[in-house]
Parts: sequence; C-alpha cells; structure tokens
Amino acid sequence: MMPLRRHLGLLVGPQEMGRTWYFWVGFVIVIGVGAAAPQYLGRFDLLNLANFLTSIFLALSLCLIWGFCGILSLGQAAFLGLGGYAYGVAGINFIESHGNTWAALGIGLAVPVLLAAVLGFVMFYARLKGVYVAILMLVVTLLFETFLNQTAGQGWFIGEAHLGGNNGLGRFSGVIKKPPSFIFSEGGIKFLGKSYAFFYLTFGLAVLCYLGLRILVNSKLGYVMVAIREDPERTEALGYDVRLIQLIVFCISALLASMSGILYVSWGRFITPDVFGVYNNILPVIWVAVAGRKSLTATVIGTLVLVWLSQRLTETDYAFVVLGGILLGAMMLLPEGVITGIVDRGTALRARLAARKSARA
Amino acid sequence: METISFIVGLLYQYADTIALLALSAIGLIIIFGMMGVINMAHGEMMMIGAYITSFAHYAGIPTALAVILGGIGAGLAGMIIERLVIRRFYGQLLSSLVATWGLSLILSQGALLVFGQLIQSVPTPFGSFTVGELSYSYYRMFIFLVAMAMIAGLWALFRFTRFGVRARATMENPRMARALGVDTSRVYALTFGLGTMLGGFAGGLLALTSTIGPFYGMTYTPQAFITVVVGGGAEIVTGLLASVLSLGAIKTIFMNQTNILLGHVAMLVLAFVIIRLMPSGISDWVERRQVRVRER
Amino acid sequence: MPLLEVENLSKAFGGVRAVDGVDFALEQGELRCIIGPNGAGKSTFFKLLLGSIKPDRGRIRFRDRDVTRAEPHTRAHMGIGVKFQHLGVYGDLTVRHNLQLPLQHSLSGEAMDAEIARLLARLNLAGTEERRVAELAHGQRQWLAIGMALAMRPVLLLLDEPTAGMGPEETRETGALVHSVHEEGVTVVVVEHDMAFVRQLGAPVTVLHYGRVFAEGPLAAIESNEDVRHIYLGASRTMAARGRYDP
Repeated sequence: MMPLRRHLGLLVGPQEMGRTWYFWVGFVIVIGVGAAAPQYLGRFDLLNLANFLTSIFLALSLCLIWGFCGILSLGQAAFLGLGGYAYGVAGINFIESHGNTWAALGIGLAVPVLLAAVLGFVMFYARLKGVYVAILMLVVTLLFETFLNQTAGQGWFIGEAHLGGNNGLGRFSGVIKKPPSFIFSEGGIKFLGKSYAFFYLTFGLAVLCYLGLRILVNSKLGYVMVAIREDPERTEALGYDVRLIQLIVFCISALLASMSGILYVSWGRFITPDVFGVYNNILPVIWVAVAGRKSLTATVIGTLVLVWLSQRLTETDYAFVVLGGILLGAMMLLPEGVITGIVDRGTALRARLAARKSARA
Repeated sequence: METISFIVGLLYQYADTIALLALSAIGLIIIFGMMGVINMAHGEMMMIGAYITSFAHYAGIPTALAVILGGIGAGLAGMIIERLVIRRFYGQLLSSLVATWGLSLILSQGALLVFGQLIQSVPTPFGSFTVGELSYSYYRMFIFLVAMAMIAGLWALFRFTRFGVRARATMENPRMARALGVDTSRVYALTFGLGTMLGGFAGGLLALTSTIGPFYGMTYTPQAFITVVVGGGAEIVTGLLASVLSLGAIKTIFMNQTNILLGHVAMLVLAFVIIRLMPSGISDWVERRQVRVRER
Repeated sequence: MPLLEVENLSKAFGGVRAVDGVDFALEQGELRCIIGPNGAGKSTFFKLLLGSIKPDRGRIRFRDRDVTRAEPHTRAHMGIGVKFQHLGVYGDLTVRHNLQLPLQHSLSGEAMDAEIARLLARLNLAGTEERRVAELAHGQRQWLAIGMALAMRPVLLLLDEPTAGMGPEETRETGALVHSVHEEGVTVVVVEHDMAFVRQLGAPVTVLHYGRVFAEGPLAAIESNEDVRHIYLGASRTMAARGRYDP
C-alpha cells in the first residue's frame, strides 16, 4: 500500500494549486454536481456538456508542454485531428465488422504519438529554438488540412473507410460508412454520443487525466520538466538529458490531444479536415494562456468557461474577435493568466494579512 | 522545341516560386532577424496591403501607386502595433508569438465583419507571352524582378545607410548600442514598421494575381514560416536568399512533377532536413563557414 | 595521466575567436583559478568544459575518456559538477526541490532528506528548505548553486565567478567552502574576475587573454608578472572602452 499512498501524496504537491482542505471540498462538490448532471440536464444540454468536456484533454495537452515544460506548440490540433482520423478509419474497419473497439482506440492513440515522436526527435535533438518549434508545428498541422482536403477522389479508401476530402469521414455519407462510437463487447456497452454512458465516460476520463497529471507534475519527472522550462542549460549540467525529456513530454501531450480527437469522433460520428485548421490550433492557446498555463486547475476551469462563452458568441459574428481580444488583453495585463493571477494575488494578500495579524499580536 | 518549352516552363515556375516565397517572407524575416520576434499577424499585414491596394485602385489611383499606398498603410499599422503591443514583450519570444496571434485573429475576423467574405480583386496588368503551347504572365516575371530588387535594396539599406548601421548595432548588442547613444526603441519601432511595410507591399503586389478576402494573408504565412526557419536570423539577406533559392528549387521540382500539395510537403521535409543539419538556419551555418575559411 | 586534459581547443563566434588553441591540464586533487580580463574567453572555455557548446577544433579528455563531443548530461554523470556565473538556481522552486533535482538520480525518501539536511547545514542554509529560492538573499542563492553542484558528488567541480555580487564577509565564507571541498579530494576549477578572491584561494593560476593561455603558474609568480599586470589592468581598461563584454 506504501507506493499508492506516496502517489496520492503527490496529488497535493506544490506544483499545482490545491493544497488546502477547502480546495478538495470544492473538488468533491464539483465532481458530485458533474456526476449528477444527467439528473437535471436535458438531453441537448447533456450532449453539449459532453462535447465541452472533450476539449479539456486538448487544453491539458498544451498546458503540460507549454506551461510545465516551456515548449509552445501552435499546432496541437495536429494530434487531435490525426487521433480522430486514425480512430475513425480504424473504427470503420474494425468496430462494426469485428466489434474490436480496443484496436481502433489503440490506433487512434498510437498514430499521433508516433508523429510526435518523429517530429519531436528531429526538433528537440536539433536543439531547435522555441519559436521555430512553435511555428513549424502550425505549418505541419495546416499541411494535414491541405492534404485531407484533396482526398475526395475514389482513390482515397483505407480499407472500407473513405477519407472524403473536405466532407471528411462520415458526413453526407449515403453509401459510405460513418465512424462508429465505442462498443465494448465484454459488457455489451455502447457509448453512443447521445447517451448517459458517453457522458460518464468523458467525465470520468477528464477527472482521471486531471488527477493523473497532478501526480505527474509533482513527480520526479515533473520537477525536471519545470527545471527545463526555467533553464535547459543548467538542467543538463545536473545530469538530465533535456532532449529526451522534452521528447517524452511531447509524446504524452500528443496522447492527451489525441484523446480529444477520438472522443470528438465517437461523439459526433464525423470528422472533417477543418479540425486541423487555424481555429482549432489557436483555441487551445487562448484557453491555456488566458486561464493560466502553469496550472492544470486553471486550465480546466478556464477552458470550460471559454468554450461555453464561444458557444454563446457563435450566435453573433463577433466570436473570434472577442476571443482574440480576450487573449491579447490577458497577455498584456495578466501574462501569467487570469485565474492564476487572481489566485496568486489572493494568496499574497492572505499572507500579508496574516503577517499583519501576527505583527499586531 | 518541346525540351525548350519544358525548360522555359520550369524556369518560369522557379522564378515565380522564388518571388512568392521571398515576398511573403521578407517582412517576417527582417523582424525576426532584428528583434527575434515572429509576427504571427504578418499575414494580416499582407491583407491590409492588399485591401488598401484594391480600394485605392477602384478609387481611381494608378495601380503602382495603390500598391505603394498598401505598403505605407501596413507600415503605419505595424508601427502602431509595435508601440501598443510588441513593446511589452521584448525578451519574451513565446509571449510575443501568442500576443501577435491574438492580434491576427482580431484583424482577420474584424475585416470579415466589416468588409465581408471577398472584396473586389484587381486585374493583373501587362498581359502575357507564349512559348511553345503555354502562355506566361509578364506580371509574374515583373514580381520576380521586384522581389530581387527588394532583397538588393535591403542589403544596401543595412550596409550603407545610417539606419542600417544603427539597426545592426542594435541587433548585435542592444545594451551597447544604447550606451553609444542609439535610440534602440526607435530602431525597433522603425524595424517593425519596415517589416510590416514590406509585408503590406508584398500583399499589394500579390493581390493583383488573386482573389482578396480577410484570410488572404494566411495562405502565404505557412510558406513564409518555412522560409524563415530555413533562413535563420543571423544574416538576414544571405539567409533569405539561400532559403528561397533552395526551397524554391525543391518546390518547383515537386510541383512540376506532381502537385502543389506535394510541393509544400517537399519544402517542409527539406526544412526539417536542413534544421537537423544546421539547427540555427542556413545563415548561421554560412557565417561559421566563412570564419573557418578566413582562419585558414 | 591528468584528470582533465585539453588540447588545442578552439571556438569562434561570428568573426570572434573566443577560445583559440588552448592547452590545459589538471591533476587529480588540484585547485586552479582561471583569470583574465573581460572578453578573454573564460566563459566560453567554461562552457566548452561542461559541454553546452562544442569546439570547432581540439580535444577534451576527462578521466581517460574523450568527451569532446559528449553532451553535458553525460559529463555530469561522469563527475563534472558545475556552478554557473548567473544564478544557477530555479527561482520558482523551493530550496528543497532545487537540491532534489541533482539528488533524485540516486537517492529517495529518507536518504534524500538526510542528504538535503547535510548539504543545507554545510551551506549555512539550514531552515530555508521550504522557501522559494527567489526569496533568498543573493549570497544564499550563490551557495545553493554551489550546493547543487556538490549534490552531484563531482570529481571535478567547475565554479564560474562564485563570489559575483557578494560582500566581503560572504566572499570569505565562500573561500572557506571552496577550500573545504578541495580538502575532501575534489578537483576544483574557479573561473574568477575578482583578484581579491583569487588571492584568498592562493591556488595556481591560468591566465587567459584573447582566447589563449597567456601565462600559467603559482599565484605569486603570476602576480609579479609584468605582462599579466599590463593586460589585466591596461587591457581591461581599453577593452572596457571598446565595450567588449564576456560572451
């Protein structure tokens, strides 16, 4: 039982906000309210909430590499999109005909991680400057968009799956098969996008990833990540292979981003090349930068708020102007992020008050 | 006759590709080389140049003047942006990247809201000529010459003018330049203005060959990014030239034999190969070679 | 066989030959100071030794192995400990976590806690474990940086300007710390600008000038060497006027 207790101890390590009892009381309440959502939300709202939740993985993937390891990637959608497409293609071939969801999931996760490993190897082992990594990732992503947009012809079948050009997988498909949702033959459970089961799956995975990442950032590897963010040269002199660690973290982040893509595809049963576009790349940057990139908690909260906000705004034409303005404003006024900034100021204020109190006594 | 027309076609394509790469990257690489900032709103500067060109053209202003006005407009916009935004992010490269990306979103979506999906495009001047069975546009050759002239002008600017000396001093060692009485913040503002002006000017020139919309500039930025990454920031002119010549060659070959998409992919692959061999870009590598040769 | 052997080491940046054909050797258990005016190539030489930049020419051997192309982390595990010129610490982390980074390669749990306590006592930093490093005084941060290098249990300790920004009292204590480390059998190289500190250490000196070894020998001989005094005083004045700074 000892190792388990040690890991649980890492949950409340100093790398992440939430070392007080009331944080965890709040956490339990949020989990309770979230888990009870099917009781009080209508079908449409629940469906929508499940969709919101899929964004969290993408946000956490950027938070991990940028906030904790100091590598900014402007092309996280590459991993999301590739995960979605790989799952979709594999799912069309394996799930309905063979009932093999695990194979589709495995392929959906493996393909983006493989891409991350190859790109990361080239970029980090060449010790490429951070700005170059950032913009090259964007270029790679946009090329995927261009590539998939021209796959409308009959030559673009992978097994039974048709890549479908700008219609993507599964949309407008008469004869052509849609990517399926998860079906696990063991229990016969179908995680259809509109079902309670899918909501609980996404919700559970989001909570698990959040807690798992809390443990990761407070582990030995977590401290090395932060050390690399602060100063790669010194971290090397302390005996760490910075390139290797950057590569590992990059792959973990690709894994997280691909989860967003896989869940998105199994939720809506379609995916188009638009997922690789500029907007899907800039959105996670907005969420993470505005909320506070150095905190997992801030990232999760900020992402949910901003995703909700942009959905409200899409009813108007101003959505992206407003989001761009929020990003620019946050970068200029609270460069560490709005939520992190407020929490830090609160902590500092409390410390000052406590100091004054003890001085008076 | 067929080989001749094939070779002419290939050369024409090469010149055209080089022009496109050089024009879309020149403003970006100046700002990156001098200030270390990647301006993610560079595409929007090109868009501003194109919009001004179109509006001026249809207001009856001669096209050449309209393009120059586009450059001036983007340059002024750039100097305002430098003062209001970029200035706060000196020394924080990644933050400036994110902030200018936000700006890019505001500008392109703002243009969409104000002017709609498309504005009137400007007709391509000068007509065309034919070799064999294919016809070629004089204007595209003209653009190539302009692009080369811009690179030459840039070289002369850094080499011979007082601004160039100050700018190079600032780039080498800003603290020292300040101590020698160079107003570095003015140099930065002018450099940023110069970069965005060239972006706007390029936007105006290229606007005469395509449709113009709010996302007009975005179609050029990926190639511009690759050009900058390959060129590096150490020697702006050498880097830019080496970068557009090598990338242009590979893109032309792949475009000629397959399609545009594979042309882009080939450029990206070449970029990854080059950064694997010369992580700081061609210009830095050339610079170090020169030192070694001098030592012998 | 020397512990560290450097042959004809050269490195140029742009047109400047920062290190130009340096030969240098250290015996096991030596204490050596490297001095030179600003721009002499001290920092470049230091970085070449730790591996964060690679030479254009020349060879570095350490413990009978060629490490010329070895990465810094490899050299760190071979026993080269480093304290950088500018604050070699992580300001956002606590003192404990700064020390944990070098220690967690080999230790964990109570053994690590004991080692941290031992190091802190030695560095006069006891009681600061849970404080953020950014909150420490300047001298304390310098000591912590030395402590992080010591935590790697180095065979060769490289210190780049360990007393930069310190007052006289702190400088004296730092000198005592360097001596005690040296007495434990660790080979120590101190790259230093401050002659007072070099005198306090009283160790043999290598003088770098324009990227070359200008003179080498016991402190007294170096101090009485007219040429050294000329470049050190005269040259540093002209170099300062030309505005060269250490790259």
